[in-house]
Amino acid sequence: MSARYGLDRAIARVAPVLIVALVAAVPLLTDDRYLFKVLTFVGLNVIVVTGLALLFGYAGQISLGHAAFFGIGAYSVGYLTATRALPWLAAVAIGVALASVVGLLLSLPMLRLKGHYLAMATLAFSEILGVFFVEASAITGGNDGLRGIPFPSVGPFKIATPGASYLLVWGVAIIVVVLASNLVRTRPGRALRAVHGTELGAQACGIDTGRLRVQVFTLSAGLAGLAGALYAGVVGFVSPTTFSLEFSVLLVAMVVLGGTGSITGPVVACVALTLLPYIDALVPGLPRDAVAFLQDWEADISGIVMIGVLLFAPGGVAGMLRRSRRAGDAS
Amino acid sequence: MNTQFKMVVAVLAALLIAVTGVGCSGSGSGESTGDVAEPYRIGAVVSLTGTYAGLGTPEKNAIEMEMKRLNDAGGVNGRQVEVIFEDDATDPAKAQAAVARLIEQEDVIAIIGATGTGQTMALRDDIDRAAIPQVSMAGGSVITAEFDELVFQTPWPNRTVVPFTLRQLKERGLTNVAVISDTGGYGKDGHDIIVAQAAAAGVKIIADETFNPGDTDMMAQLTKIKSASPDVVLMWNAGKEAAIVAKNLKQLGMDVPLVGSPGNGRREFIEGAADAAEGFQFAAGKILVPEAYGVDTPAYDVATAFISDYTKAYDVAPDIFAGHAYDAFLVVTDALSRIEGDATPAALRDAIEQTSGLVGIGGTFTYGPQDHNGLTEADLVFYRVEGNEWVLAK
Repeated sequence: MSARYGLDRAIARVAPVLIVALVAAVPLLTDDRYLFKVLTFVGLNVIVVTGLALLFGYAGQISLGHAAFFGIGAYSVGYLTATRALPWLAAVAIGVALASVVGLLLSLPMLRLKGHYLAMATLAFSEILGVFFVEASAITGGNDGLRGIPFPSVGPFKIATPGASYLLVWGVAIIVVVLASNLVRTRPGRALRAVHGTELGAQACGIDTGRLRVQVFTLSAGLAGLAGALYAGVVGFVSPTTFSLEFSVLLVAMVVLGGTGSITGPVVACVALTLLPYIDALVPGLPRDAVAFLQDWEADISGIVMIGVLLFAPGGVAGMLRRSRRAGDAS
Repeated sequence: MNTQFKMVVAVLAALLIAVTGVGCSGSGSGESTGDVAEPYRIGAVVSLTGTYAGLGTPEKNAIEMEMKRLNDAGGVNGRQVEVIFEDDATDPAKAQAAVARLIEQEDVIAIIGATGTGQTMALRDDIDRAAIPQVSMAGGSVITAEFDELVFQTPWPNRTVVPFTLRQLKERGLTNVAVISDTGGYGKDGHDIIVAQAAAAGVKIIADETFNPGDTDMMAQLTKIKSASPDVVLMWNAGKEAAIVAKNLKQLGMDVPLVGSPGNGRREFIEGAADAAEGFQFAAGKILVPEAYGVDTPAYDVATAFISDYTKAYDVAPDIFAGHAYDAFLVVTDALSRIEGDATPAALRDAIEQTSGLVGIGGTFTYGPQDHNGLTEADLVFYRVEGNEWVLAK
């Protein structure tokens, strides 16, 4: 047990440095604008999945509504910067705050719910927001979406190229992942795991489980809002279909695939699943038919992989990493 | 500890190799575009799934057929033409992602598309950033009304079709009009023009209802319309929901004519609405009944040749959407053939704008610096569905 923690600490010390080096190295190695765009999407999903890993992977609280929080962030920045001409940074702050507040308000009545009921409540929330995004057309542009969202800018400094967007999103993603990794190693992280194990037991240990559940849900919603806020500026276009239930399910699938009680696992799964439909960006020269097949069957492949993981490797990516570590220790 | 370190190093190495691999091959594909024998690459964003699948599929068919015919005949300027298709699933967000891919990765010199108005507008930021010409196959006025020097359009826009349709209603004495439109790009665009033009056309709007793309029942809206007792129900949309409106209208026992938009000139509407489609009227171009062009005119010859080729290839007669796609492909390849020197996106845009007297399916195209639509009311006729076929409405 102590060996494992020692190893975790070693990994934790080395991994951030390696990841930062790798992320920073990509612009030096390529100038493929499409690759930057794809990697930017990966980075955005990493931010959402990190929040969802805290909520689902640690605290055991499911949410099928994270696409909606993502949408709140995206529409806030889209509306405030394109229509209201607010500075980008202020719009992002408002978008994140709004997503967090909605998350907080939603989590209060949901304290009474667990398991399937919680899933149903978040699902209903996602559907309500979906209708709102379409109907509130004065703000959201309705079905046709919101166009002409300006690039992110801070003062005179404008982030207008795919390479710069990539660095912005990954810079934020790395900060989020590092903070989340620190969080789970400290007292709140242990409390979250306790809630996941047995809520009653956690209460007996003196953890205010209700408060903790509200906090983690708010944080997780805020992170989804942050990713959405970045998405709006980077992509420049927001439309309601992006924030569908399908996206929420895919996000949960990433966390399931990644394994519970881990940040690394879900992040690895997120990178893999997000890259799947864009495989042609990484492997140039792939026949177009093969790429089209992967894109058409993306949801099915994700589903089959998820079933496979549940049947044969219930621990997900994190479980496999742990197992290989233990095997390494034994030798 | 040691094992751990080895593993981390191995992973890092693998990632770096992967990234460098991408970098190398990325620059490799960039070099090859300079080759003279390379085909012209044109991107096409069409809706092959979703509510506009019935529009996008004939569009893709028409372009593929014409591409093959052109390439078999030697291509353009001795170079082959390659069209790369992307499905936008009738989703503006997917359309935007698709065009980004076509521009960034496929290095296309022009975009044909999208099928829908909302999808077409969703491409604009990327089109502007990349400065490549776009020829849309959607009929929303907004596409050319929000003028962009890079964007052209092949169908008759709503600002042409709506006044024509309203005049037809007035001539038939159908002046109390109930409007039902969808909230997507094309429906909303048509709706706004109907409301703006109604008074000038001498008709009165006595009910105004909307539905969302993807809705499966319009009973509530039609019940409200029924209580207003209109002379005619004017429906403006292009999606598959049109058949549901026709069926719901019949189920409510409403005995008023249903008039639609060019977007309803599709087989799926007649098949979906079955006997509820009988008597349905709409304005569109002349392709559905080619005699309307006037026998022995160049337009008639172009249309009948296209109808015969298309019917031979796909066992079904082309509809107006196949025609829009034929026209879009024709506009781009005709412009390419007129370019002297390098076929850059900028040169292609200029050449498209100089298109003059080009006989297509939707009509005869003449673009200009202020006119990126090229068609007029003279290219429209009024149709009626009789016995599951389109006939000219008298």
